[in-house]
Amino acid sequence: MKHGEKNILFGLYDDEEDLKKAVVQANQDHLDIMDVLTPFPVHGLDPLLGLAESRLHIAGFVFGLTGTLTAFLGMTWIFTRDWPNIFGGKPYWPILSFVPISFELTVLFASIGMVVTFYIVNGQGPGIKNPVIHPRITDDKFCIAFNTDHLGDAQVSKLRNFFQQTGASLVETKTI
Amino acid sequence: MMLVGIFSLVATYIGDDHFHTRFWSNVLHNSVFFTGVALMALFLLAAKITAWSGWHTIFKRVWEAYSLFLVVGLVLIMIIALGIWGGWHHLYHWADIKSVESDVILTGKSSFLNKNWYTFGSLLFVGLWVFFAIRIRQLSVDEDINGDSNFTHARKMRVLGAAALPVIGFTSAALIWQWVMSVDAHWYSTLFAWYASASMMVTMIALTIITLIMLKVRGYFPLVNIEHLHDLGKYMFAFSIFWTYLWFSQYMLIWYANIPEETIYFNTRLHQYPVLFYLNIGLNFVLPFLVLLRNDTKRKYGTLLFISCVLVFSHWLDFFLMLKPGIIHTAHELAAAAGEAGHHTAGATPGFTLPGFLEIGTFIGFLGLFFFVVFNRLEKASLVPSRDPYLMESVSHHT
Repeated sequence: MKHGEKNILFGLYDDEEDLKKAVVQANQDHLDIMDVLTPFPVHGLDPLLGLAESRLHIAGFVFGLTGTLTAFLGMTWIFTRDWPNIFGGKPYWPILSFVPISFELTVLFASIGMVVTFYIVNGQGPGIKNPVIHPRITDDKFCIAFNTDHLGDAQVSKLRNFFQQTGASLVETKTI
Repeated sequence: MMLVGIFSLVATYIGDDHFHTRFWSNVLHNSVFFTGVALMALFLLAAKITAWSGWHTIFKRVWEAYSLFLVVGLVLIMIIALGIWGGWHHLYHWADIKSVESDVILTGKSSFLNKNWYTFGSLLFVGLWVFFAIRIRQLSVDEDINGDSNFTHARKMRVLGAAALPVIGFTSAALIWQWVMSVDAHWYSTLFAWYASASMMVTMIALTIITLIMLKVRGYFPLVNIEHLHDLGKYMFAFSIFWTYLWFSQYMLIWYANIPEETIYFNTRLHQYPVLFYLNIGLNFVLPFLVLLRNDTKRKYGTLLFISCVLVFSHWLDFFLMLKPGIIHTAHELAAAAGEAGHHTAGATPGFTLPGFLEIGTFIGFLGLFFFVVFNRLEKASLVPSRDPYLMESVSHHT
């Protein structure tokens, strides 16, 4: 086992409703779920897992505001200080014609900023390989995974029991 | 509420100048406003049917009831059209024969801006809308009793909905030009129809939210939950931005091109209506943008209800700003032509430069009429379409 790898025990479910029931059961049994993986976003799963609301949109707002200010202040500086020019008889500081460009930069900054933030927070990026626990998680199976590194045999068999009770169609161990 | 409206109308009529400009402009303002709301309900309903959408199904009877107000709207618009024939009012510059003869621009436009087009165009187009509204409603109500497993009703509605969309798309533009834009008969703007439609759409969605919350408080619609209202809130937010986009596009293009015959429209509104002009942008864009931007404000009854009420009123103000300057200008010109210098007064005129109590009274009256018709239609059928194929999708809707 190389450094940074961990042993996991995972179970695959055929249906997202089975998965949700299993997560509820795991919460009742106080089992420490490492991760839940689904081929698509399952409605109502986040509150069951106790995940906090994403703060990505706050980052998006800040990025957007940065874009607006960059565009607006940048153009203001260019057209009033750096290189004042008269276009079509308009004043040096034509706020109205700044609006579309400010809007565009707001969208650009917000979208690119949010994508980059998302990738950094999730440890993604070019050249980074992520372990795939089971290929069918990307297709039609729903997975609950437990970290078994520090668990004794009794606890692991308890987890296997849990998978059997909640109707997992496949239970396997893997080192990732 | 309707009593307040009738009292306001009578009071306006008595206290008016001898053209009864204030009275008729208020009637036109509110008739167009609420007919537009009914039309947008029909439009959204048709769009939802065509898109096979299901989340709205649980409260679609509200939109059906809204769209049936078109029948009343047709009557109201016909009263104004009759007024043009009978010479009861002077809302439209192009309706005055002497002005048209002496005015090149009005003569040039007289093939479209004339009382035949106004009357029979409105009759035909609103008649078509009424047909679609009533037919969709009939099918929907009939489905409750005779709905079968082949979804015959839903299929028929799909044909109707798809047919209604282009009809509404093209005719609404023509009628908005006739009803609203032609009060400034010399001026035109290509995107004016969409701008006015966006205003009506925001109002319609805001009124839907108000109606649903009102009904929920009284214990109806137990299955309509915050998920549905959240989606309506998103719609209200999105269409507020859309309204701003169109408003700004129109304003910036005219500002940039700087052609006198176009800028006169905003020149009048900026200099004689500064309060309303900036209030319009503040209430219709800045406020809903900042408040509805956050996720949780769209998921609370309080904020939604507050913003909805503000938006209904402020889009009514938007229509006020579209209509009144043109109408008072026409009235002044005609009064000057008739040799009545007394009417040609500058400065603030209650009911024209700012809405007075009588305008608000009239608004409340028409709102009462609207809700009277809507609730009257609502109680005629079950609130929940029990055999609609999309009902379950709507009940378990989750954003």
